[in-house]
Amino acid sequence: MASLNVRVVSPERIVFQGEASAVVAPAWDGQVGILPGHAPLLALVGVGELSVDRPGGGSASFQVAGGVLKVERDTVTVLTEYAGDEPPAEIPASAIVDPEDVEG
Amino acid sequence: MAGSRDVKRRIKSVENTRQITRTMELVATSKLKRATDRVHAARPYADALAEIVSGLYSPGLSEQYPILRRPAEVKRAAVLLLTANRGLCGGFNSNLIKQARNLMEHLRGQGVETELHIAGKKAVAYFRFRGEEMMTKRVDIGDLPSVDDAESLVAPIRDRFERGEIDAVYLVSSKFVSAMSTPPHTRDLLPIQGDAKAAAADSFIVSPNGDMILERLLPAYVRNAVYTALVENAAAEQGARRSAMKSATDNAGDVLEHLTRTYNRARQAQITQEIAEIVGGSAALE
Repeated sequence: MASLNVRVVSPERIVFQGEASAVVAPAWDGQVGILPGHAPLLALVGVGELSVDRPGGGSASFQVAGGVLKVERDTVTVLTEYAGDEPPAEIPASAIVDPEDVEG
Repeated sequence: MAGSRDVKRRIKSVENTRQITRTMELVATSKLKRATDRVHAARPYADALAEIVSGLYSPGLSEQYPILRRPAEVKRAAVLLLTANRGLCGGFNSNLIKQARNLMEHLRGQGVETELHIAGKKAVAYFRFRGEEMMTKRVDIGDLPSVDDAESLVAPIRDRFERGEIDAVYLVSSKFVSAMSTPPHTRDLLPIQGDAKAAAADSFIVSPNGDMILERLLPAYVRNAVYTALVENAAAEQGARRSAMKSATDNAGDVLEHLTRTYNRARQAQITQEIAEIVGGSAALE
């Protein structure tokens, strides 16, 4: 079965790197689920929990805030301003998107 | 003999110095290890960010974003200089200061006004002594600089650029080639040097839209350039300190060897003289 190659990167380090069968990420407008074979995607990341299902079962999850998410050819790269086990003390400005600002 | 006592005292003092420099060398080595790890850990983010930004970037965007503006003429430029807070690291700080001074002289020679932004106690002290005006004086960034440090350092400068108060920003810091090689280096921080690659974003589902993503990524891109420089500079500082302390330790060893030889010679001469005196004395009695 195809799997995803996932990388979660914060400015200071690689938070997670490995194989996954599914990823659920907090995009700016809600959770996005990503399975193998997903179309190329580039999305802003909001604030919330990112969870990664491992191929053999089990999952890992992190709190992330801000940044951008890229999916291309079963490679998921999450560049986030903040990543950790606890929710961020302060929400980075780039993680807040006012839906009013979005055209169309 | 008076001479040999002086030499003995100096030997003691050089031994103490060697002890201290060796300890500092060891401390720098262990800090260097941590700092280098941080340099390597910061690279994946920087690479991935650069890739995404250049994918979204196109030359036409410069009218839309103040941060991408390309002034036709540079009237006023900012120099952001990063140095260490501490000395005893060889030519590290003075090389950086010299690099910044040369850059400023060069800019002034072209009729460009300059302003200085400084992080690091050493450069702050130097330019204060020279009576040079500094717009930023940061001395609170330590051995392990954080992303927040980079953001708070660069945000006012970025804002000034966006408002058109300055037309270019240069970043002077040490490039961390290896622990032994940390040359001072000048980078163009702003305007952003975008390489106009074919926009790959066309085939992507982009959410919410390219503009809004860029609007958030560009400041992060600038901040990250400063963060990378801070982290590299911190590692370079430790590398420079380790080399400086290693050569000081080696040098103390050489001095000690020389002094010990001098001391032994003096001691030997004294003993020889005493024997000669005794022999002379007993000969006189016969």
